[in-house]
Amino acid sequence: MINGTERILVCCGTGCIANGALGVADAIQKELDARGLADDVKLDVSVVRTGCSGECEQGPIVRFMPRDLMYYRVKANDAAAIVDSLEGEPVQKLLFKKDGQTYEHMDDNPFYALQHKVVLKDVGVIDPLDINEYIARGGYEGLKKALTMTPDEIITEVEKSGLRGKGGAGFPTGRKWRTAAGYDVFPKYIVCNGDEGDPGAFMDGSTMEGSPHAVIEGMIIGALAIGAEEGVLYIRDEYALARDHIQRAIDAAYEAGILGDSIMGSDHKLDLSIVRGGGAFVCGESTALMASIEGRVGEPRAKYIRSVQRGLFDHPTVLNNVESLASIPTILRDGGEAYAQVGTERSKGTKVFAMVGKVKHTGLVEVPMGTTLRTLIYDIGGGIIDDRPFKAIQTGGPSGGCIPEELLDLPVDFDTLVEYGAMMGSGGMIVMDDRSCMVEVARYYVDFLCEESCGKCTPCREGLRQMRAILTDICEGRGKHGDIELLERIGRTMQDASLCALGRTAPNPVMTTIKFFRDEYEAHIERKECPAGVCAKLTQFAIDPEACTGCTMCSRACPAGAISGGRKETHVIDPHLCIACGSCREACRFNAVLTERRPA
Amino acid sequence: MNEMLTITIDGVECTCQKGEYLYDVATRNGIWIPVLCRSDAFDDHRACCRICIVEVEERGRRKVVTACVYPIEQECTVYTKSEKILEERAVIMALLAHRAPDSERMAEMNKFMGRSGFDRLISVDGEKCILCGLCVQACNSLGTGAISTVLRGTDKKVDTPYGNPSAFCVGCLSCANVCPTDAIEYTQTDTTRTIWNREFDLAFCEECGSLMGTTESVRHAAGEDSEVPSVCDACRKKKLADEMMQTYRYV
Repeated sequence: MINGTERILVCCGTGCIANGALGVADAIQKELDARGLADDVKLDVSVVRTGCSGECEQGPIVRFMPRDLMYYRVKANDAAAIVDSLEGEPVQKLLFKKDGQTYEHMDDNPFYALQHKVVLKDVGVIDPLDINEYIARGGYEGLKKALTMTPDEIITEVEKSGLRGKGGAGFPTGRKWRTAAGYDVFPKYIVCNGDEGDPGAFMDGSTMEGSPHAVIEGMIIGALAIGAEEGVLYIRDEYALARDHIQRAIDAAYEAGILGDSIMGSDHKLDLSIVRGGGAFVCGESTALMASIEGRVGEPRAKYIRSVQRGLFDHPTVLNNVESLASIPTILRDGGEAYAQVGTERSKGTKVFAMVGKVKHTGLVEVPMGTTLRTLIYDIGGGIIDDRPFKAIQTGGPSGGCIPEELLDLPVDFDTLVEYGAMMGSGGMIVMDDRSCMVEVARYYVDFLCEESCGKCTPCREGLRQMRAILTDICEGRGKHGDIELLERIGRTMQDASLCALGRTAPNPVMTTIKFFRDEYEAHIERKECPAGVCAKLTQFAIDPEACTGCTMCSRACPAGAISGGRKETHVIDPHLCIACGSCREACRFNAVLTERRPA
Repeated sequence: MNEMLTITIDGVECTCQKGEYLYDVATRNGIWIPVLCRSDAFDDHRACCRICIVEVEERGRRKVVTACVYPIEQECTVYTKSEKILEERAVIMALLAHRAPDSERMAEMNKFMGRSGFDRLISVDGEKCILCGLCVQACNSLGTGAISTVLRGTDKKVDTPYGNPSAFCVGCLSCANVCPTDAIEYTQTDTTRTIWNREFDLAFCEECGSLMGTTESVRHAAGEDSEVPSVCDACRKKKLADEMMQTYRYV
């Protein structure tokens, strides 16, 4: 029997929406209506559209609370069975299964069991558009406490927590606030950086979508600490849902007297507004972001005078990333020391990662700082798709690096990976298997940055242009002896002499792949061979007649019509028609598609 | 009076005011640092060409900074010719020389850096512009704002909005004159000047017949509420001097 309240949480994060979550929610609602359950006051069953639950690859996800039953890969026509199970046995086919075991509860699923949620504690649990749900789970209690404290006390609490900027730079948040608080120049501004643009990253977007009030509460506390009465959330153009949720949360906060002329009845005031980014990656850089807010071209400036002294409109400005701000309410509510219990010596608390690529369970995870990449990929992510060999994990997007197998047991925090020439970055993680070419990966990121650099300074703009040309040559068999050294020469100059952090970190994908996968560069240059079988100009494909089962998957996947062979017959690739795209190899379930060096 | 500091640049002791730019202190003391995107005509500098990089050692920590905008806030030791700087400056120069292969000045400076290994770099066909942005700065400081940098990344360039003739351009040539690589082209006939896809009528002095600029630039220079002059500066002064002489002769 349903005993009192039962909430049916339907994950309506961007990933689940793309897989039909809104239809699922509607179908369940209809089913409840049809059975008269929705109106039954004794039962109090409701459908709640939540933010991202995390395990995107298994979405759409439906969860019963407080019963804690979690269903995966739900379709709209499962609605009846799901509603049936409110009072009966769980729907077996919708439960998570791994290695022959079935998991009913969320926390039993290894994907969730190893996580530690601070930033995401309400994401996927509450209706992000209902301020009362946030408050019911302890929301705005941190702010209430902050209102009884002096700015110095608030900052001290944040310093105690050891919180560092989670956008990737890792600058101590407390120190930033203290510096800004020290300037007697008004007005001061607090700005939230929601311009998350790394390919494959969706940590901040999911946080803003799923728990917008946590970000707002963090901003209000920050404003109290530094003495700001105006704040701006800079959110990228592509995050329509995040912008919508933040705007509605701002409206609700004004209505509740949490924002505006008197914060929760106090003498403090704060106005918040959203500025929509124009879609330029570089506008995630602090000074370019501020230029963009001011209505100027999104170009960084030299930062010998920091933004905390002269930032937005030349006034003291604190810029914090979404994830940092969303950590603040918990720090104030439970105390900085409690927050610092988790994590490593120099990196406290948790970090959210968006794990994508060739890992079985892609999604959004939050783990204590210092968790190893191996735990992330194998224990939480379930390992590599088809159990292929792991090759590298790309962290931190275009500013980050590619980390090889031998570094997987290092703790992931702000400092450790840097010592090994890689970095944790903002939290985007792309897992790659043995079928990824590291030269091609470097070329991809350089190509991305050629378009997304602001183009203001010489090392970044021209260095990227030359790197792209050299890497393209290497991928297409025109690599020359000395190319690796020239790439390193340009890369070092970019790291030292570029104007902003984007330019200084832009060569990282190239430098780390050279550092950890130099032999792969050499194979391309010296032997004109792509060991991963990716670079089309260097690779030819053939089907192993021993392994081929004649399933026709490859011929159906081939966009060039180059594969012939009937059902249960050995398939053959016509080399004259083959464009070496690799679709057949991706499609084959029997490892029957082989790659070899294409003769010159 | 600002606080004074003593710093060492390449072994030379230099005194400076706190907050002064490193480049200004160095040049005052006869220490050469190359610059491209910096002009004395402007107070603020874009620090985008990066050719003025030097190494600064403060409290035992060495870092690469751009001298043109680096404010000296504490005692420090500066190296303008360390191996690191010579190498990285040469790379930047090589990048610029391949960016603007049609600029003789870039080719000369690149040769001057004296480092090799850059034959592999690709050249941007027919390009002279190094995107220093001085032209845009000049245009903005004149209050015309006709040109700006457009697009981003490797596609960035200087242009009028959408490449159309700009209503704000006065054809004054300030952009072309401030350009370190002569990258801004214009043509001139006996009566017209064409720049940024727009043709302007030339204005000549009614007295001596010398070229005063374009009709628009003369009007812009006079200011909105002033009468547009019909004679050149030299003739105006001469006329004034003549009038003065006439006046004083009878005193």
